[in-house]
Amino acid sequence: MRMEHWRFTARLRLRSILRGRRVEQELNEELQFHLEHKIEEGIANGLSTKEARYAAMRAMDGLEQRKQEMRDMRRIHWLTDFLDDARFAIRSLRRTSGLTAFVVITLALGIGMTSGTFSMVDALIFRPYPVPRPSGVVTLVSTTHDSSFDDFSYREYLDIRGKTKSYDGVIANAAMEAVGFSAEPAATPRIKGGMMVSGNYFHVLGVEPRLGRSFREDEDRVPGRNAVVVLGPDFWKHEFASDPGVIGKTIRLNGSDFTVIGVAPETFPGMLIFGHPDFYMPLSMARVFSTNRQKNFFEDRDDRELTVRARLQPGATLQQGQNELAVLAKTFEREYPKFNRGRSAAVHTQFEMRTRGDDGNWKFGVIFAILALAVLLVACTNVAGLLLSRARARRREIAVRLAIGAGRFRLIRLLLTESLILASLGGLAGIAIGYGVVLWFQSFQNVIFMTDLPFSIPFRMDTRVLLASLALSALSALLCGLAPALQSTRVDLVNGLKSADVDVPGRKRLWGRNVLVVAQVSASLMLLTASFLMVRGFQHDLREGTGFAKDHLLMVSFDPRLVQYSAAQTQQFYKLLAERVRVAPGVASESLTQNIPLGQDDFDGIAFVPENFQMPRDRENFNSTMDTVDEGYFETMGIPILRGRGFLASDTADAPRVAVVNEQFAKHYWPGAAAVGKHIRLESSAGTPVEIVGITETIKYQSGFERPMDFVYMPLAQHPIARMTLMLRSSGDPLQLVQPVKDVVRTLDPNLPMLHTMAYEDYYQNQAVNGPRIAMKLVGSMGVVGLLLAIAGLYGLVAYNVSRRTREIGIRIALGALSSDVLRLVMGKGLVLVGIGTVIGLAMGFGVEHLMNSMLFNAGGVDFVAYVIVVPSLFLVTLLAAYVPARRASRIAPTQALRYE
Amino acid sequence: MSKPNDLVQGTLDLLLLKILALEPLHGWAISLRLKSISGDVLQVSEGSLYPALHKLEQEGWITAEWKQTENNRRAKFYSLTRLGKRQLESEAANWQRLSSAISQVIQLSET
Repeated sequence: MRMEHWRFTARLRLRSILRGRRVEQELNEELQFHLEHKIEEGIANGLSTKEARYAAMRAMDGLEQRKQEMRDMRRIHWLTDFLDDARFAIRSLRRTSGLTAFVVITLALGIGMTSGTFSMVDALIFRPYPVPRPSGVVTLVSTTHDSSFDDFSYREYLDIRGKTKSYDGVIANAAMEAVGFSAEPAATPRIKGGMMVSGNYFHVLGVEPRLGRSFREDEDRVPGRNAVVVLGPDFWKHEFASDPGVIGKTIRLNGSDFTVIGVAPETFPGMLIFGHPDFYMPLSMARVFSTNRQKNFFEDRDDRELTVRARLQPGATLQQGQNELAVLAKTFEREYPKFNRGRSAAVHTQFEMRTRGDDGNWKFGVIFAILALAVLLVACTNVAGLLLSRARARRREIAVRLAIGAGRFRLIRLLLTESLILASLGGLAGIAIGYGVVLWFQSFQNVIFMTDLPFSIPFRMDTRVLLASLALSALSALLCGLAPALQSTRVDLVNGLKSADVDVPGRKRLWGRNVLVVAQVSASLMLLTASFLMVRGFQHDLREGTGFAKDHLLMVSFDPRLVQYSAAQTQQFYKLLAERVRVAPGVASESLTQNIPLGQDDFDGIAFVPENFQMPRDRENFNSTMDTVDEGYFETMGIPILRGRGFLASDTADAPRVAVVNEQFAKHYWPGAAAVGKHIRLESSAGTPVEIVGITETIKYQSGFERPMDFVYMPLAQHPIARMTLMLRSSGDPLQLVQPVKDVVRTLDPNLPMLHTMAYEDYYQNQAVNGPRIAMKLVGSMGVVGLLLAIAGLYGLVAYNVSRRTREIGIRIALGALSSDVLRLVMGKGLVLVGIGTVIGLAMGFGVEHLMNSMLFNAGGVDFVAYVIVVPSLFLVTLLAAYVPARRASRIAPTQALRYE
Repeated sequence: MSKPNDLVQGTLDLLLLKILALEPLHGWAISLRLKSISGDVLQVSEGSLYPALHKLEQEGWITAEWKQTENNRRAKFYSLTRLGKRQLESEAANWQRLSSAISQVIQLSET
């Protein structure tokens, strides 16, 4: 019944909407038909034509009312009313086109800033994994005293996979790493990003291959057995021109042959935020890719290289998974105390993983979003203030409407329609601005990622961001429209009709505008403080420097595994390379290092026990970051040796083990004592002793913003590493050394690729300076926009307040007040408001500073310089905004003011 | 909507449905028919007639069609739909129940 009913009526409603004019015409015609008959009847009864017409009309009881009743019967009046409102609103907005443009631009700036930063926050925090039912995918982490987000080893992974029951499958992947790829065996390998994954990886995630098949469950079990590879979608498109014939083809990875078995779908660019692996290999092929020669990937329980994820069984809770894993971690601790003492495990959702405390990117996103929301808030208060003034100027119009019977609700709807239209226009323009912001972000792709690996900036203007922006627009419509609408429809009819512009006596009337002024001052003060602090924080950290010399350095990386060198061959290669480039023309000094400071790759860790150190009962060893370098490193990089010595050629593989630590490390473990000559033991108190022979200055290792951290250097001869970077100090332009290095490498092995060949200073710029600089620009422009908006809004509000008191001022002047009295009167009020706003804004500024210090910068305490600059300048600016209208008011001639309405 | 004060609420719908159940008519003819069958007892203002017709149409109970009248003028003829027929039956039944209940109450002898 209901359905059938609906089928009938929907068609009629649709007709009323779409063919409105036709329906209207029919209505008229029908009534006309009736009237004509009625008139004829009247004439037949002996009335005159005129009398008959009157009688007919009378019988209708008001023709127009009847028509309206019939229109209401169509049940679409909510729509027609809205359209009428919209038409009316557009007309009245066009009449005040200057104000409309200002409001739209203001809202557009606010919404644009917010949607631009939301695209950032979304990509960094909220965007779900690109897999079916992404919320069921959780991440399992190993936890220790030092790290809450440690990885698992292969053995541990197999145990978790075999012994847990809360999951519909447990998967593992290694980090995406540089892999030498060649499509033909003869070609020189190029660096691509490959990721080792467990056999069930695609299956458990629910990702169906676009072509071919994905890995089989058992393909990660037998070391070296399954030389198969699944290609990433982008890689397949660019490297193989989307050729479906690629399945079954043999490609060469790190010098070994692999058979292509499948291609991942377009919808699955990978599970990482920034990286999109070019191809996936099974864990069983770890020997071809593993970087750590000291450990056996398949056997060593402490070779923790795997990120472990799992899909919760439907109905299983995170807590169940957590409990089960905790029990398993206890078992590990009992059975393998050597590797797992003090180690526990935890399960995290995607959100928890994305907002982990040891990662900085999302924090920037959140702070940007907070600042952008402050800009939006200022924009909204601005617009609210304008609409309020506008609505009050329309008091008579509104009073007339109320007097002739318009309902208050109906009028509020009309006014809200106006602000909705304003917000829609502002929202559309804002989305355009937001899109510009996103494009601006993306233009830094090459500036930020100076690497051969497939990284990209993930900020997009997608449906999610669009919807959020639209919601924001609607919200701001309500925010800036509701208060004016409510206030201006609460009109005292008698007064409203008598005069256009007289305030009803009472305190309440000014309350709204005062709140707006205070909100504006405080929000913009907070915004300005935040952006000022951020800019100063960045500048401080950049000025602080890195602690080593960045100029005149050429960097070139090598990975002899790409051409299948054995460990011995590799070390021989580096020895010869160092010897030969040292004597090349233009080379002042040379060195080799495993990682460059402030580089893209994380440093390795080292587990150790310091000599004569009381170990806490519950821990086996300590951890520190480390680097492997040769004897020329400290000189080439200009890192001062404070005590003891650097590495020497005599620190060979057969000589006693030695290490150099930084000052921070020495102070940490031997405070007040000389660390040189002390020993550390590797892994445990029974491990290999290593003598500390020198102390270096503490430099910046991983980022320009880090706190001083412990650091250990090992000599390359005693700690062989396959992938090393050659650092050359030049006497002239470092890039002029590229050709001599090429010549040397050619004499050693013409097939060995030179990777990441560039001047270190350029690399440093991209890696450590450009990102913060972009952030500073973003924050700075938000601060400026916020301030400009606040000035404009403040000026408008004060000026409006003054203009409303023009008559009062006229009377005062007529009664003998001096213009200085008037100035004091008007300014005094503004000053009080600005003062209140400053106090609130200062409190919020301190809050934001605290937040930023705890999240981003290593600086503690309060940056007084920032406040000393920001507070008085904002105060001055707002004072000026109050002064100009006040001055104008004080100059009004009384005659003019009294006539003013 | 202005209520036809002189009619029990809702009965105008019933009357209109019943009249149109007999034959399709235009508005003028309906107003004549209303007058002739109910005499002066049921006063229906001509003003209320058209809104009521529109309401019935929007509910889907009656449908309208433009046709020529006998003296060659275009008029809007209303006729009952299937839904309308069902509505008429249920409303008529309702009315029967109501009126018989009320007449029973009225016939109670006062003691």
